[in-house]
Amino acid sequence: MFFWTDIYYVFKREFYSVFRDHAVLTFFLALTLAYPVVYTFIYSNEVAHEVPVAVVDHSQSSASREFVRNWDATASVDVVARCADMEEAKMLMYKKDIYGILEIPENFSRNIALGEQAHVSLFCDMGALLNYKALLMTGTDVALQMSKDIQIRGMEYATKITEEIKASPVKIQDVKMFNPQGGFTSFLIPAVLILVIQQSLLLGVGTIAGTERDRRRKGSRLPVGCHFCRPVRVVLGKAFAYLPIYFVMGYWVFFIVPRLFGMTQIGERGELMLFLFPFLLACAFFAIAMSFLSREREMPFLIFVFTSVPLMFISGISWPKSAIPEYWVWFSKLFPSSYGIDGFVKMNNTGATLSEVLPEFWGLWILALVYFIVACLLYKIEYRKLKNKKDLVIS
Amino acid sequence: MRENIKAVGALMKREIRMLAGRRIYWFVMVFAPLFCFLFFMDLLKDGLPKKLPVAVVDEDNTTTSRSLVRSLNAFAQTDVVMRTANFSEAREALQRGEVYGIFYIPADFRRDASTGSEPVLSFYTNDTYFLAGSLLYKDMRMQANLANGAVQQTLLLARGENQPVLAAKLMPVVLDTHPLNNPWLSYSIYLANFLLPAFLCMFVMFTTVYSISDEIKRKTSKEWLRVGNNSIVVALLGKLAPQAIVFTAMGMLYLSLLYGYAHFPLNSGFFPMFLAMVLMILSSQCFALFVTGISRRSRIALSVCALWGVLSFSICGFTYPVRSMPELAQIASNLFQMRHYFLIYVDQALNGIPLIYSWLNYAALIVFLFLPLFILPKLKQDLLEFKYLP
Repeated sequence: MFFWTDIYYVFKREFYSVFRDHAVLTFFLALTLAYPVVYTFIYSNEVAHEVPVAVVDHSQSSASREFVRNWDATASVDVVARCADMEEAKMLMYKKDIYGILEIPENFSRNIALGEQAHVSLFCDMGALLNYKALLMTGTDVALQMSKDIQIRGMEYATKITEEIKASPVKIQDVKMFNPQGGFTSFLIPAVLILVIQQSLLLGVGTIAGTERDRRRKGSRLPVGCHFCRPVRVVLGKAFAYLPIYFVMGYWVFFIVPRLFGMTQIGERGELMLFLFPFLLACAFFAIAMSFLSREREMPFLIFVFTSVPLMFISGISWPKSAIPEYWVWFSKLFPSSYGIDGFVKMNNTGATLSEVLPEFWGLWILALVYFIVACLLYKIEYRKLKNKKDLVIS
Repeated sequence: MRENIKAVGALMKREIRMLAGRRIYWFVMVFAPLFCFLFFMDLLKDGLPKKLPVAVVDEDNTTTSRSLVRSLNAFAQTDVVMRTANFSEAREALQRGEVYGIFYIPADFRRDASTGSEPVLSFYTNDTYFLAGSLLYKDMRMQANLANGAVQQTLLLARGENQPVLAAKLMPVVLDTHPLNNPWLSYSIYLANFLLPAFLCMFVMFTTVYSISDEIKRKTSKEWLRVGNNSIVVALLGKLAPQAIVFTAMGMLYLSLLYGYAHFPLNSGFFPMFLAMVLMILSSQCFALFVTGISRRSRIALSVCALWGVLSFSICGFTYPVRSMPELAQIASNLFQMRHYFLIYVDQALNGIPLIYSWLNYAALIVFLFLPLFILPKLKQDLLEFKYLP
């Protein structure tokens, strides 16, 4: 019976301290509310459109003009300047007016007419790979299409259909699955959503723990009764205080934000919730365990904020998992976010069922258990230290 | 004047003792930056992800289709880990994240190709994994086009055409690409050059805010000012100079490892990047100082700096170009130190264009240095009278 009264006592106290402390509220509510929105806003255009380029056309023929016209007509490219020579185009690139230069050599149309291979050169600024990708893709498309047209023109006395077949005997079809625009939002945001949950819990719980230690250092005695003697009850009580808040925030982050911004969302909702439960649990215990690192109220910033970026990279979203060295993969298994991102992306974006993400699902349960034990042990050690210092009033 | 110099000296000594005496400073100033460096250099050491797993669904299973698969496997970035005749098996592997793409060869592919009934080669990429998806897309598309060429080649060879004419017949127009200054398309060059300084920027801001607010919190701010001859400028100089020195040393380590050890492109010579790094560190300190002065609570200042530091990773446009962002984000990006550092890096180290084209970005970083002027009187007052607020 005392088991539950202790837990309830800790829960109540923790719940109050969350809502009384503006710093913690900022992390738990404001951060989780605002962050996904800011991120989605930044990436809302999804892909690089109308990348400005310059053309240096030495050929000045109808064929070269056709190439430029077709290229300019694509959504990714905007020909903003036609330059007489490369020097002039280079100056524009220095000024950041353009991000690519297309150079068409003098013999372009002559080569086509003679049945020799004609080359065009594309020079790209490599400051942003997305621009490069856009220019390269459309450039290749245009070159292929033009090649095909030329091949067809070269075939006399052929019917329309045989022409088509001869020029491309095999049809090619490409399908971008689960992210039809090939956009940035649908790829980055799901990972950000998961990370926001874990990191905001880390920061918030770290702040609570740091504040408590600050007060202790100042000499004010803790209002601690024997409700705080048993580590298991304390850790459970604290976790029960965070979980309801995060059920609400989790619903916002995982279901409302994706819908607001029209992101891919093909997972089955009930199963997703079933998957997210151990994730929240693991995050809560992880945050309690890690909060022992935070010796002061301001410290969580210094310790936890920067970890988001490395965590993003080892989760396998930004950098393909097959290219991550083995030891980092093992290292990533220490963090709930790695399993969380993996499982969430597979279910939410690629429509996997719970049975297909079982490794992640059980991984989260194991992490929850491990961090629960770690948190209990750490709490026990700290409690003993405090008792030795006679800092506690045992009522 | 001489007194002031002496005071700065005394304060610097005091500050060094404080920095060296606490674990948290060792963590943000030395261990965390080193960890970030080791982590990313090790993670990105291949430059480009190689051997991305794909599945091949070969319903045709003839010599032609098998040779298609073989040559797909020969691409450096593609690794055929799964061959099956069943599409849903491949799709499930895709959903489990075991493969990033599916190359689909339909039944009767060879017969249809040779009789001219236009078989369709399809390839699927999982673009939820953006980088893996686009790299595989490139390879599979190339392979599909090659397949086209191979079929045409046999047709043309049968008609007795010779090789060079053949190449022209198959591909009359060819696009040659020249990725300027990063011909290897290396992602480590592209990512590490921005990520590492961005971490440093974040750590600089945290250290500045934390060390100042710590004086208030420990009620040592009056003593601090007194040692500094009651001049806020002297006091701040004495406090921030040792931090600037440590971070500059760390920045130099970064630069020398990036450009000396890893041999990333440095087409401008060392000086422009050195200048950019120093200015970036100083402007981060000044920005953090400004924020500290404005907000009374250190946690708010820290929150702002955390926001600034984390947003830098996206809004500076190193993965997703600023040009393609909404207008508001485009304007806001100018308020971030790292945006200017990034532009300088692209112009100088990567492209090696004349220094004059980067003057605006250097100037912008210098503007940050003047920010603290607005808050010096208020900060002094706060240090003298203000009590720590949680």
